[in-house]
Amino acid sequence: MLETMDQSPTQSASSSTTMSDQPEPRADFLKVVDFNFHYGKKQALYQVNMEIPERQVTAFIGPSGCGKSTLLRNFNRMNELIDGIHHEGDILLNGRSIYDKKIEVIALRRSIGMVFQKSNPFPKSIYENIVYSLRIAGVKSKSILDEAVERSLRGAALWEEAKDRLHDSALGLSGGQMQRLCIARAIANQPDVLLMDEPCSALDPIATAKVEDLIHELKRQFTIVIVTHNMQQATRCSDKTAFFYLGKLIEFDETQKIFSNPGEKQTEDYITGRFG
Amino acid sequence: MNQTHILTTFEDALRALRNDVLMMASLTERNLENTRKGLFERDEDWCNTVIADDEEIDTLEVQVDRDGINIMMRFHPLASDMRNVIATMKLSVNLERIADQAVNIARRARKLIVRPEVTEIQGLEPLFTFSDLMVKDAVRAFANRDIELARGLQDRDRELDEMNRRFAEKITDLMGKKVELIPSYMDLIFMARFLERIGDQAKNIGEDTVYAISAEDTRHMNRIDGK
Amino acid sequence: MTTSTATPSDFLSKASAGGSLRRSLGNKVLNCICVGLAFLTLIPLFSIVFLVLKNGLPLLTWDALTQLPPAPGNKGGGFGNAIVGTALMVGLALILATPFGILSAIYINEYAPAARLSNAVRFVAKLLTGIPSIISGVFAYAVVVLATGGFSAWAGGFALAILVLPTILLTAEQALLGVPKAFREASYGLGATNFQTIWRIVLPDALPAMMTGVMLAVARAAGETAPLLFTALFSQYWIQSLKEPTASLSVLIYNFSTTFDDHQKQMAWTASLVLVILVTLANVSAQVVFRKK
Repeated sequence: MLETMDQSPTQSASSSTTMSDQPEPRADFLKVVDFNFHYGKKQALYQVNMEIPERQVTAFIGPSGCGKSTLLRNFNRMNELIDGIHHEGDILLNGRSIYDKKIEVIALRRSIGMVFQKSNPFPKSIYENIVYSLRIAGVKSKSILDEAVERSLRGAALWEEAKDRLHDSALGLSGGQMQRLCIARAIANQPDVLLMDEPCSALDPIATAKVEDLIHELKRQFTIVIVTHNMQQATRCSDKTAFFYLGKLIEFDETQKIFSNPGEKQTEDYITGRFG
Repeated sequence: MNQTHILTTFEDALRALRNDVLMMASLTERNLENTRKGLFERDEDWCNTVIADDEEIDTLEVQVDRDGINIMMRFHPLASDMRNVIATMKLSVNLERIADQAVNIARRARKLIVRPEVTEIQGLEPLFTFSDLMVKDAVRAFANRDIELARGLQDRDRELDEMNRRFAEKITDLMGKKVELIPSYMDLIFMARFLERIGDQAKNIGEDTVYAISAEDTRHMNRIDGK
Repeated sequence: MTTSTATPSDFLSKASAGGSLRRSLGNKVLNCICVGLAFLTLIPLFSIVFLVLKNGLPLLTWDALTQLPPAPGNKGGGFGNAIVGTALMVGLALILATPFGILSAIYINEYAPAARLSNAVRFVAKLLTGIPSIISGVFAYAVVVLATGGFSAWAGGFALAILVLPTILLTAEQALLGVPKAFREASYGLGATNFQTIWRIVLPDALPAMMTGVMLAVARAAGETAPLLFTALFSQYWIQSLKEPTASLSVLIYNFSTTFDDHQKQMAWTASLVLVILVTLANVSAQVVFRKK
């Protein structure tokens, strides 16, 4: 009877990164402390406290307007592009406050990659899209740029499809490919954290599945925070899930626990579709 | 079903679940074998082994259950995936029950062994072989997705019921003639009953397999025949 | 019996039978009116083109394009210096106005879109698009001619620059607004500075549309007469320096069409034809460049 058992998969072929020489992952790699956030007079986040672990996938779920995207965009201070915002509290990345005066915002943003809801590749070639972050950091050497392109495209599971048309316009790709290109672009400069704001909401199911499979690979190297309004995506992809409602963090725990036996009634009501 | 799922985590979880339940099947069959040996070779050690090994099967049942629920929660499988996961979880329940029946037989066998041998025990052999084969075939039908083999189990179960009825009749007859052997004869009747139940479980496995493969619900069709 | 067996489709066909005739008649009439008016609007345009072609073509020779203007009473000659002068002064206008216009547009759209200064700039620019062209001439006269003590190509170019600056600024702003916000977001998200984002992403994407604005400005500037009347004045000779009065096609047309000399009047038509051709070329190239996007 044992011969009908399938071969169990050996540890899947390791990518170019080796895990053995990485230090012990921090449980509070991204730490939010007593964080309040205001758009002008309107408060969007209330006393948020959370610790996001390193090299795991953390999902933010909650109904529209609950603050999940707002918090996400604070991690790389993208909200500062809007006028009239202010905050109280702190956010720490690997132990250092992101609001530390000694850190330039652009340096922070270079160490954090962001993927948006609707893929937004530049109207340039695939190659130029990916090396953009390196060029603005001053990298000129062609060999470094070439290496970064291949590494990023492989990391985003797009190398095979793109390697023969690196200098074609990025706008000629399909929707799913464009989003993977945006992922490649975001990881080109090897950030510490990858932020994804509803990355699959504009994609068809097959493209979504490919991106989710990719996320599973990426988490070996990057800490990933993904905002999703699709709870099923959270159950498929994430290790930990945070449930937000009306600007407050209601519950934050292992995904397994949140979706099978949540601690808070509000969480249960949202997940089972009783409100929201 | 030659294509794998795009989401490798899903694919891995399904494979792990399947491997667990097939492991469970393998252990169950081993236990049935050991029961046979203990019973017909009058070896108490084998009976004890069966009773002890049942714990492992119980643990696996809990594991399969947990894995199945985890898959349902995380990946919300649809269509054939969903039917397969549900069938797998039900398979583990049926296997656990089969293992329990094996334990029951082993316990009775221990009592039989201390008493002098009764020749009628040979009458149990065909039943044992028949139900054992049903279990093997049921698991094989599940593993290989063999719908015809799975369907055939319903008829075979009816045959096993018939065999059990005839055996019980014969032994009950003998009980009137050899009153001193009644305790042993009672044991034999009980063991035949356990074997008949094992056949029922194997038939259930077959019905769940048919459902998993073709979404056809063939349960309780016996009642339509009037049996 | 009729009512019980009538079906909905019967009612529909009955309703349409009576009214459809009325409706299609009304439709046709309106159609005809619209088509007629459309043709009507084409008439002035085609008349101009036709007239200019008919009257200007005869004298359109290589000489006309390369010779100096004839004195009254002479035959032959041309308006070569006027073509050069127009080209020079339009070029000057562009050199002066384009950087101002584009950089201002970048400021009010990328750096401080909500600031009071930006709003003021937008408001004033919109006002200035309607400025009577002679006012810019007067202004240039006061600022350049009086200051330098003489009429010059500089003054002419300056007057034209003032005229086209609002247009360039506003079309540049529109071009920048046309760049999707998503591009900028992506750029900032990757850690680019304001400058890098504008220089590497926004400007390249907005450039074709900006160039359209510039081409339109060229088309307008080439045809203006009033601003040049008392800034660049006119000249019968080839241009030697930018500090002296300069000929231009528009002023030449003005001068020649008001003389008593028949030959010069004829020349005016030819010059008009050349001007129309140049303006058309500028407009067409604006379309082509925009389509490249």
